[in-house]
Amino acid sequence: MRTISKLTLAVAALILTGTTLQAQTNNASITATASVQTPINVIGAQQLNFGNVFPGVNKTVAASDLTNGGRFDVTGQASTPVTLSFTLPATLSSGANTMPIVSYTGIYALLATQAGGVAFTPASGATPTLSGTGNLFVWVGAQVQPATNQAAGVYTGSVTMTVVY
Amino acid sequence: MKRVLLLTLVTLIGGRLHSQGKPLVITGVRGVTFGTVLPGVPTVVLRTDPVNSGQFNIKGPKGGPAVLSFVLPLTMTGPAGAVMSLTFGSSDAGYSATQSIGSQVGFDPKQPFTVAIPNNGTASVFVGATVNPAANQRAGAYTATIIFTVTYL
Repeated sequence: MRTISKLTLAVAALILTGTTLQAQTNNASITATASVQTPINVIGAQQLNFGNVFPGVNKTVAASDLTNGGRFDVTGQASTPVTLSFTLPATLSSGANTMPIVSYTGIYALLATQAGGVAFTPASGATPTLSGTGNLFVWVGAQVQPATNQAAGVYTGSVTMTVVY
Repeated sequence: MKRVLLLTLVTLIGGRLHSQGKPLVITGVRGVTFGTVLPGVPTVVLRTDPVNSGQFNIKGPKGGPAVLSFVLPLTMTGPAGAVMSLTFGSSDAGYSATQSIGSQVGFDPKQPFTVAIPNNGTASVFVGATVNPAANQRAGAYTATIIFTVTYL
């Protein structure tokens, strides 16, 4: 009888101990993902060059003029839409003298040859898509209107283009 | 008699130690999706974002106290071994006893958090985070693994 009682107590202790040790734990995992795009880079590749201008004679440089048109080269994430916006001067300056610059025109294309180019109005901006290699070329033209008594000199102004994704 | 009793008791011990009821199941439902990230621009995913936040579902044997904990990555890994900083704020995890993203109790995923699992044994945890790309961050796809553990007390 004593032996059985001792055995019963031992078993009871084991049962209690075994139950206490069975706390459940489990886990799972998920993945965080992100896709980093190529930074946008813009360079002023070519100046908008009106060359020699005569007083009283308006002169236009077309955006399609590959030699004299202003050009911006854009690089970024391939095949990604971007938004172009411009800050366009109303005058060119030579010291204290100014000369009006008006009628801005623009063309953007995926190739430096301007093949397949799309015309746009710089004052309104544009939303082209970068090429499959992440390139875009943008040309700007305009017209200067020298007065009949326009002072001689070299006149300059800055055209700024901003590109964002 | 003694041997029969001993055999019976051994059987009871063996049966009792292996009987645990329903298992505790943790399921990774949805990953944390930052999508398109721009160099130099931190991107945040809120734990309340129904599309992009991470989600784990808990299915336990019963209600009761449990401890929630995470193993959180410090960075995401991308092309050519590039790494990008990943951070978790003090309220970037949320516990929902109703499994509803609109009804969460926020907590710090960097610290163990004790909750009361409801009697039906089900609950959910949602996760947000912030990714911090460098200005010269290499372009490409980045990933990281988030591990979530539940321990019934």
